[in-house]
Amino acid sequence: MKFIVFRYNPDLDATPRMQEYDVEVTRGMMLRDALLEIKRQDESFSFRHSCGEGVCGSDGLNVNGTNLLGCITRVSDLKEPVKVRPLPGRPVIRDLVVDMSQFYQQYRAVEPYLIRRDPLPEQEILQSPEERDKLDGLYECIMCGCCSTSCPSFWWNPDKFHGPQALLQSWRFLADSRDQATDERLDALEGPYKLFRCHTIMNCVDVCPKHLNPTKAIGKIKELMLERAI
Amino acid sequence: MSRQASGLRAWALQRISAVYLGLYIIYFLGVLLICPPDTYEAWKAFVGDPWGSMAMLLFFSSLLLHAWVGVRDVLIDYVHPMMIRVTLLTVFGIGLIGSSFSIAKAIFLAGLQS
Ligand code: SF4
Ligand code: SF4
Ligand code: FES
Repeated sequence: MKFIVFRYNPDLDATPRMQEYDVEVTRGMMLRDALLEIKRQDESFSFRHSCGEGVCGSDGLNVNGTNLLGCITRVSDLKEPVKVRPLPGRPVIRDLVVDMSQFYQQYRAVEPYLIRRDPLPEQEILQSPEERDKLDGLYECIMCGCCSTSCPSFWWNPDKFHGPQALLQSWRFLADSRDQATDERLDALEGPYKLFRCHTIMNCVDVCPKHLNPTKAIGKIKELMLERAI
Repeated sequence: MSRQASGLRAWALQRISAVYLGLYIIYFLGVLLICPPDTYEAWKAFVGDPWGSMAMLLFFSSLLLHAWVGVRDVLIDYVHPMMIRVTLLTVFGIGLIGSSFSIAKAIFLAGLQS
């Protein structure tokens, strides 16, 4: 099977190039396996990966124009020739390895942890099953970055717009019955950039390998804001 | 408009104006289909009717507000150098305000003459 892979080493190459590789497909082969095979053929090629089962979120890639995780994508489901590129919009460190710093900064900016005003109880803070259910579809995010790097609003303003991943996590804590910083969180999201650059394009929903829905979470944040404003 | 309010307020304005635009367009198409004013006089009466002119003024206000939020969004997305952005915002702002005066004049004149 033919693979056309993005190659760029900023230290040596003046411009990026697309390099062709031929990989013999075995049964059940995932894209990550094919990339490992390419690495066997050509040691100078680099890409990130770790768990191999869609849990660590390190092998987000852009394949035939769509962001996905290499380790849970069957090679047989891909159209030949398979064009493999790094996640769009991020600075390339080398080949398929990109710099995700801004993505992590946006995550950090939403304070992704429980904030309590009351003194902490001796034991755990209890939640009803219904309250717990509200976190389903939110906490499963593995931070692969497929969503934010497919979001045009994040491409144009990665320094100011939080992006779908961080906003999904923002809602994850807004929706948590144990969190007590709702007003501060909402106030921090005001202004035209952090939240309101989202134009409901829904690329994020299309690509999330965990089938999460950042657009819906963003809608809920806006609703809550509106509720609190009137 | 305070810096703080410009996110939620613009977004809410965009939604509300969109709803009114949709409703008015349906109403207007209905008028055109069912009893279209066929002469200049009939048009003048249609535009000059107190309720009709109110609805129409509101329609154009919504249209201009909606356009303003849209233009502002596009410029925030794509035009990053501050000077160019401010200049473009000013140009569009003046254009929209100018249009609103000319629309208001047309509607009020029709109201006065009918
Ligand atoms: S929301 Fe989905 S696509 Fe986005 S970082 Fe989390 S797991 Fe990845
Ligand atoms: S819905 Fe919002 S966050 Fe998701 S891709 Fe579109 S603009 Fe980005
Ligand atoms: S290698 Fe861990 S998610 Fe793919």
